[in-house]
Amino acid sequence: MNCNEAVEKLWQYLDRELEGDKVVEIELHLQECRGCFSKAEFERHLRSLLRRSCGCDQAPPELRARLTRLLRMF
Amino acid sequence: MSDVGGHQPTPGGAATPDEAREARARFEALVGEHLDGLYRVALRLSRNPTVAEDLVQEAMLRAWRSFHTFREGTNIRAWLYRILMNAHVDRYRKAARTPEVLEEEIGDEYLYAGARDGDALSQAGNPEVEVLDRIMDQEVRESLDALPLPFRAAVMLVDVEGFSYKEAAEILGVPIGTVMSRLSRARHALKRRLAAFARDRHFVQGEPA
Repeated sequence: MNCNEAVEKLWQYLDRELEGDKVVEIELHLQECRGCFSKAEFERHLRSLLRRSCGCDQAPPELRARLTRLLRMF
Repeated sequence: MSDVGGHQPTPGGAATPDEAREARARFEALVGEHLDGLYRVALRLSRNPTVAEDLVQEAMLRAWRSFHTFREGTNIRAWLYRILMNAHVDRYRKAARTPEVLEEEIGDEYLYAGARDGDALSQAGNPEVEVLDRIMDQEVRESLDALPLPFRAAVMLVDVEGFSYKEAAEILGVPIGTVMSRLSRARHALKRRLAAFARDRHFVQGEPA
């Protein structure tokens, strides 16, 4: 796999949407290519940043209580 | 219980009070398990905590009303999110018709290139990643909130909630290819906006091309 193809498939790989033999190919490429490896690291961090920023909110306890109450009325 | 004699049909489609209790218990457990995730997505869809609460409430009441149509073996988490998405779309029909065009077409990999070329490179470790680490949560949320709904939704479902492309496609009611293209464009747009935050705070040297 060359850099162009690796970049093209990178997100599918990170999203675990790539099929088996392509996974092996891209992982080999990432082991060999420092540029693409850094790129992959960067994208991984971008996602963890998103998860940290937008994935930590919790439903307010009042909403939880209200839903329980409402569901029991129906 | 039947609805003969003016009784309401039993919610959850249960035939007996025991079944109704059992269906309610199952549904309550389900809501309890997924409420945080549903609220998070509602919050980013509506960009307003009060509206997000209303949206989740509306969606869960809808889900309960059609819980009896839910078939075992179907992806129940995706089903709940689809109901949430539909509730949001119904609520904001106009917003849902937003043309799927990002205002700024994205200079390729801008943040990445900018970070690499900046003075951060002289520091030890993995400089590109360090630039990301200094971006604040609020800036990430603002950047995501600035994207049009279809892109924001795709990022929330796949990047934050961890749905597969196929699940996201079912939730959004679009083909998988559409999910992929929305994700790709959304991620580029996010990087560009985050780069602007980073540049404003002098994390990244250089002007945009």
